[in-house]
Amino acid sequence: MRGNTSQVEMNIKTIRPSWSREMDLRVWSKGNDFAMILIQSPARDRGITFLKRGKEVWNWIPTLEKTIKLPPSMMSQSWMGTDFTNDDLVRESSVIRDFEHSLGTDTLILGRPCHTIWMVPKPEAAVVWGKLMVCIDKKDFMELHTRFYDEEGQLVNIMNAYDPALLGGRLIPTRFEIIPVEKRNQKTEMRYKKVVYDQPIADGFFSINNMKNIR
Amino acid sequence: MWLIKLAWKNIWRNRNRTLISMSAIFFAVIFSVVANSLWKGTFGALIQNLVGYYSGYIQIQQAGYWDEQVLDNSLEWSDSLKAEISGENNIDALSPRLESFALMSSGDITKGCLVVGIDPMRESEVTQLQERLKKGRYLESGDQAILLTEGLAEQLQLSLEDTVYIIGQGFHGATAAGKYPIKGILKYGAPDLNNRLAFLSLPAAQELYGAENRATSVVISLHDQNLLEETVLGLKKRLDSGLVAMTWKDMMPEIVQHMKTDHFTMQIIQYLLYLLIAFGIFGTLTMMMVERQFEMGMLIALGMKKGNMILLMVIESVFTVITGCLAGLAASIPVAFYFKNNPIRFGGEFGKAYERFGFEAVMPGSTEPGIFWSQGLIVLCLGLLLSLYPLYKILRMDPVKAMRR
Repeated sequence: MRGNTSQVEMNIKTIRPSWSREMDLRVWSKGNDFAMILIQSPARDRGITFLKRGKEVWNWIPTLEKTIKLPPSMMSQSWMGTDFTNDDLVRESSVIRDFEHSLGTDTLILGRPCHTIWMVPKPEAAVVWGKLMVCIDKKDFMELHTRFYDEEGQLVNIMNAYDPALLGGRLIPTRFEIIPVEKRNQKTEMRYKKVVYDQPIADGFFSINNMKNIR
Repeated sequence: MWLIKLAWKNIWRNRNRTLISMSAIFFAVIFSVVANSLWKGTFGALIQNLVGYYSGYIQIQQAGYWDEQVLDNSLEWSDSLKAEISGENNIDALSPRLESFALMSSGDITKGCLVVGIDPMRESEVTQLQERLKKGRYLESGDQAILLTEGLAEQLQLSLEDTVYIIGQGFHGATAAGKYPIKGILKYGAPDLNNRLAFLSLPAAQELYGAENRATSVVISLHDQNLLEETVLGLKKRLDSGLVAMTWKDMMPEIVQHMKTDHFTMQIIQYLLYLLIAFGIFGTLTMMMVERQFEMGMLIALGMKKGNMILLMVIESVFTVITGCLAGLAASIPVAFYFKNNPIRFGGEFGKAYERFGFEAVMPGSTEPGIFWSQGLIVLCLGLLLSLYPLYKILRMDPVKAMRR
């Protein structure tokens, strides 16, 4: 899922107690530093583009004909009405470098035996969570379940992964849901439709100018 | 019967004295009516100013909107809802609003603001928005243009005909993004409004927020603000269970609190006024008793029973007090109406503070009927109560001492 480059077509469904909303989007990414997101539907949001470069997020809005750099104050707000925050887009912490790891008791998810790993961020790491619990499939190393705790040790978000399938030549979960624990009947579902790994993308693709041109 | 005759003769015997007693009551009624009328009128005007500022007397909202003011808690704005609300008596004007926070940018500078979609004509009927226009032109329904408050325009360093960019979150997670030319600049006295309000036409705001046919609130103004509670009750009966009617008192509890404190102060002032009035009346009564001491002493010495004499005094007092009261009421009605139509203007620091908030620095009179009969009745009781004093004097009267010159 985090190959050197990836191109993903996906569908995101925001589910709320009284309504739900679907979006289709394409994501190009390269390493941890570059990502481009293009909204393809619904029609009124079509063409909205997000560019992540390092810690910055830029947003191209066709109706405004403007590129906006998201201010720090907006980083903790919901991204496109989903349960993701803008901050989730730029988080560049390394799973390896920025955390202390310890093994918990093994568990079984989707019929697959899993390692349970507790991850506590190192003091100097720029991570918003207090700790994470990650369940990883022993055989194919898929991240199937993650719990996000805040600094007070309260459970905030749960991520579940489903439907492992071969996409872009790799076995990956193709459906995810993010459930904010404190909000009832509310979640965001993400479904991968098409994935292409390791097709070279030039750095110049991830430019502010290119945001207006990609389709 | 002969007592009444005697009382009548007594009243006319010394006209000046009677007139003085009557005029004490007469002016007491005028004073307390006018004071009350100005006080009530000023409070009424203050409330009118406050609710005319932004909130309106009553707002209809989706249940839950007040606690969480987001577009997802908006209501469906339809002709049938409009008809339902207008069906209630006492509704003067109503205006739908769609409001939500968004970021507004001039290119380099970005500010948070409250973007309000309005029906321009109706809104102006409820809150006199058009009168706040300082520069440019007012909105017309369906305009794809925006009105900015002065402070907001200054912070964004924009003026008329410049373009503002708005970005935020719309209804049900939609993206809200739009750009609009500035058609007018509005001025509010209160800084928190003057620095963050922006107005679009309702259709433009609905399009911006992806909230077709929706409104976050319906603002209502009333014919008679004294019937606020009755109107709210009536509205509650008419509305679907999903909707709530909130009064300005629900929306601005701190103002209500402030008014209660003020009310208390005014009450103390009023009691002081009554005390003053009481002393005035009492003064004339004492004078009368001193003047008539010889006369009364002689009557008793001649064999008039004290009971009859007391009755005589009661008849005289009741007549004087009631006549004085009625005359006072009759005279105070035109005075109150005069102040209603020609409010007292006040200047100085207080007046300036008022005007800075865009309020008219005036004290209008109120002509609510309750003021007249309640004040008339209070002075009447006061007068009758005080006329117990002569009775007490008569009871204790020693004719020999009384006739000593």
